[in-house]
Amino acid sequence: MANEIESGQTNLTEVVSTNNSVILMQDIGFSYGKTPLFTHLDLEIKQGNIYGLLGKNGSGKTTLLKLISGQLFPDEGFTSALGFDPMRRKPAMLSEIFYLPEEFPLPKMKATEYLKMRSVFYPRFDNLMFAQYCKDFELDMQQNLNEMSLGQKKKLLLAFGLASNTSLLFLDEPTNGLDIPSKRQFRQTVASAMTEDRTFIISTHQVRDMENLIDPLIILHDGKIIFNDTVDSITDKYVMALVTTDPQQDEKVVYKEKVLGGWMVLRQRSEQEEGNEGQPLDLETLFNVVVEQSTRVQGGMR
Amino acid sequence: MNRFGLLINREIQTSKRDLSFYALTLFLILFASETIRSFVSQYSQIAFGPATYASLFPNFLFLGGLIITSLSFATDMFSKNGQQEWLMLPATSLEKFLAKGVLTAFAYPIAITVVFFLASVIIEPIQLLLFGNPVTLFNPFTTGIAIQFAVYWVWQSIFLLGATYFHKGHFLKTILSLGILGIALATLFLLFVKVIFSIKYGSSLRTFDIVFSFDSLLFKPASGVIGTFRVIGKILYFVVLPLFCWVTAFFRVEEVQATDAV
Repeated sequence: MANEIESGQTNLTEVVSTNNSVILMQDIGFSYGKTPLFTHLDLEIKQGNIYGLLGKNGSGKTTLLKLISGQLFPDEGFTSALGFDPMRRKPAMLSEIFYLPEEFPLPKMKATEYLKMRSVFYPRFDNLMFAQYCKDFELDMQQNLNEMSLGQKKKLLLAFGLASNTSLLFLDEPTNGLDIPSKRQFRQTVASAMTEDRTFIISTHQVRDMENLIDPLIILHDGKIIFNDTVDSITDKYVMALVTTDPQQDEKVVYKEKVLGGWMVLRQRSEQEEGNEGQPLDLETLFNVVVEQSTRVQGGMR
Repeated sequence: MNRFGLLINREIQTSKRDLSFYALTLFLILFASETIRSFVSQYSQIAFGPATYASLFPNFLFLGGLIITSLSFATDMFSKNGQQEWLMLPATSLEKFLAKGVLTAFAYPIAITVVFFLASVIIEPIQLLLFGNPVTLFNPFTTGIAIQFAVYWVWQSIFLLGATYFHKGHFLKTILSLGILGIALATLFLLFVKVIFSIKYGSSLRTFDIVFSFDSLLFKPASGVIGTFRVIGKILYFVVLPLFCWVTAFFRVEEVQATDAV
């Protein structure tokens, strides 16, 4: 068993070096008790991107992140994160992953004490960078952690995660609890912290908060990844348009939504529409389109 | 500082406020106890004995130590929100386990001994000034304390296993399990004795009381077959049982995952 894993690890290291993949999941099965959540799930995450992980409530977004980070063990299948088997939770892997959960308690101590206690576990932690992020987020490092609001705690951990310079950063609903200016600051800070050798996965329901930040997108539905591609891959094939007549008869329409003044439709591009950018495709619509298509056609859009 | 040292530091830093409060409470209890005894001694004309520290020490060593041990994994292994940070902390499962195990098994008894000694150093002169009592400092270098440390090591290992095995109510569930195990073993022992004695003495079997304690069983000198059994008993009790509990507890830590959180 150990040899299999080790050989798998070696193969995967090769995969990472050639395909630029940092996470690979093959044929993953996972259940909560007798209720299956994932069956034959496959996923590949490439380095240097800010992935958006979208899905309905209970679709398994947090579970997926926990499987990748070794907090949960799959019932079957093969998982690799940065060339490691996550189930082994090796320090070399853990020091390259930072996970910001949706909810978390923090110990009763000052932020400076917390920083001193925890940053030492991350070999590439940058104190100057952390100080800058704290300044951007208007955080007082002398404040006690138990006196901070949820939003302040979240910003502190986000600043910590970004300054840790880990290769993988998992953010689970990072904008929950943030005020409006902080959401903007969040987008700016994450974008500025992004480098070619880092990969972020942001799980969220608040797609409007993530507009222009996350791309590619991963969409989870019915225990499977039904979409793992860039927004461009959709806009290359489809065009968004506002029409005034009911597009019921139009076979090229894959999605329609009643709006003020008509229908917003997404239809397949015709040859005449090459180069026509159409209406901008927002993430919320894209999500709805992909999920609706997946319900109609088994396997979804890829 | 190496990674294990950093983990030890994390454990101390995260619980230092609670432990400081505990140490202060302990000091106040000792002070109050000494003062009440002094009052009673003064007004009842009964001679003042030096037994306070020695009599309270086992209570704090065992009750406090076993409760702290039981709670040592509660947040990090079984709390829905608190588990994530510990699982994702860049260290091996063995290091994380040993950091908690070493602190509760070895650092706690040493710390509580130091607190008792320091408390006696502060309290005794005050008692001398207020009531004229003789100064009797807590002496940790006695055979009795050494035996208590050895027994604590055994029981701590059992509660360490309980801390990693039970998802909640660790302390009470461990006590309950020990109670059930004790009743089961006693019943088996009784049946065994009944059967053996029936074979040897037939129906003329008479019942009699056997009174023994672990102390007399393990620590009183003996020779011959009883002495050999006593050595085997000591090895099983002080070495095999704790090691079994520690190893089993470590395996529980190694296999813990998010679904274990409650």
